[in-house]
Amino acid sequence: MGRVLIYRGAEADVSKGEWRGLEAAFKVRKPFAYRHPALDRMVRRQRTGREAEMLKSAKSAGVSAPYVYDVDTGASTLVMEFIEGRRLRELALSSTQGLFKMFEEMGEEVARLHGSGIVHGDLTTANVVRRAGRNVYLDFGLSMHTSKVEDHAVDLRLVKETLRGAHSAISGLAFGRLLAGYSSVAGESRAKRVASQLRNIERRGRYARVV
Amino acid sequence: MNRYVLGIESTAHTFSASVVSSHGEILSNAKSVYVAPKGSGIHPLEASRSHASSAASLLGVAIEESGIGVGKISAVSYSMGPGLGPCLRVGAVVARTLCSLLEKPLVPVNHAVGHIELGCLVTRSKDPVVLLVSGGHTMVISHSGGRWRVLGETLDLTLGQLLDQFGRHAGLASPCGGEIERAALRSTRYLGLPYVVKGNDVSFSGMLTAAETMLDAGKRFDDIAFSIQETAFAMVVEVTERALAFTGKKEVMVVGGVAANRRLSRMMSAMARRHSARLRGVPLEYSGDCGAQIAWTGYLAHSKGVEVPVNEATVSQSWRLDSVDTPWRS
Repeated sequence: MGRVLIYRGAEADVSKGEWRGLEAAFKVRKPFAYRHPALDRMVRRQRTGREAEMLKSAKSAGVSAPYVYDVDTGASTLVMEFIEGRRLRELALSSTQGLFKMFEEMGEEVARLHGSGIVHGDLTTANVVRRAGRNVYLDFGLSMHTSKVEDHAVDLRLVKETLRGAHSAISGLAFGRLLAGYSSVAGESRAKRVASQLRNIERRGRYARVV
Repeated sequence: MNRYVLGIESTAHTFSASVVSSHGEILSNAKSVYVAPKGSGIHPLEASRSHASSAASLLGVAIEESGIGVGKISAVSYSMGPGLGPCLRVGAVVARTLCSLLEKPLVPVNHAVGHIELGCLVTRSKDPVVLLVSGGHTMVISHSGGRWRVLGETLDLTLGQLLDQFGRHAGLASPCGGEIERAALRSTRYLGLPYVVKGNDVSFSGMLTAAETMLDAGKRFDDIAFSIQETAFAMVVEVTERALAFTGKKEVMVVGGVAANRRLSRMMSAMARRHSARLRGVPLEYSGDCGAQIAWTGYLAHSKGVEVPVNEATVSQSWRLDSVDTPWRS
């Protein structure tokens, strides 16, 4: 069975194919012509290796993510379980029933990742796929191990930015439900600290301080 | 009937006045730029003094060059923010005085929105993903739901600050972007620097420290300048690319002072090609801070009834771009 390109992302192409008899997704990080070759190799190798490692860590934290079948950092290729489902992004754009519950669950799951010292690093609605009534998380290429409030806040801020940018009509309510879910798992005091740090980041980012 | 708006820009180092017509002709765009002493950054108070002393003559030039009489001006607009307080206040005072004198309406404009709308005007861009890179901003922006929305930005320094602070560490005078670009052309030697992309956001503070440490350790300025450009520009192009892929839009525009850098625009155009998107290059005169961005956006806003009473025309140093309604875009 040949491979069929199913997604052309900003940094990687994902194709669907077969790996030792299993239906699999092949994620290949492409060289960026605009990036200096030495820098480009370094970034692609690092992210491929990290993604494989973090997909496993996420599963250990009790969050659904694809199984990793094979890794080749030299060719910056990751072979993993193929996830059949619709992206949260599409569901949000078509205002599917039960949407806000999905965001609440997302909050719980992100809190579980953070509780295990993992930030996803790329929590856009395009990176969450709904399969059999559960959120499955993709694209851990920018994720890292950290328990800092600041890093956890940055992780949530991307969700907020994505919601405002791409789903502005539902963003307030959706993010509110997400925070509620987050708080129910992380605990109220931790959730409050992360939320207040998020506000700090927003304040300092919008217009640079004069240094 | 053609209408004319006079716009005044004074958020940071540039004081500028411009007249545009409702057909989108830029009739004048007079500027005066405050230059900081070598090795030091822009001092807000010093800059505001420089603006105050050049304001009157610049206004004269802007009106004379436009070729229309002052009586033909139908509104005055000014940059209300974001920016440096003392600088913004000079522009606000000039604008308030002028519109009281002419008995014309006063229109507040968000400086960042101004960059984008002027960019759209001069490049005939309809709905672009915008990279705004300057001393005050590093943001990836796109329009949705009646506002310009921030999809990604810097978590600490702006790209302009990174270049300026490194340049000043090497003894140059701000703005240092041009000097760094020339130095980078003299090198092809890449030195590894921290590449920090977190989701759609970037961070430059680690890179600045690493670059300064290299310089202090005796590495060549040209090599470090080259490496800073390669690393920092690749970071902002990557987050712009992510926004492009995410939104599915087909136009990319770079505005702000750093848009003048040719290496950045080459990288951006290579990226845009991959996505069959068009890179909308904003000419140098209109990509940096200028009165035309305020005049044109002032016209757009005023055409939808936006204005402010003179006694409420204050400044707003950290006015968020994504809090501005854009009725002229619906």
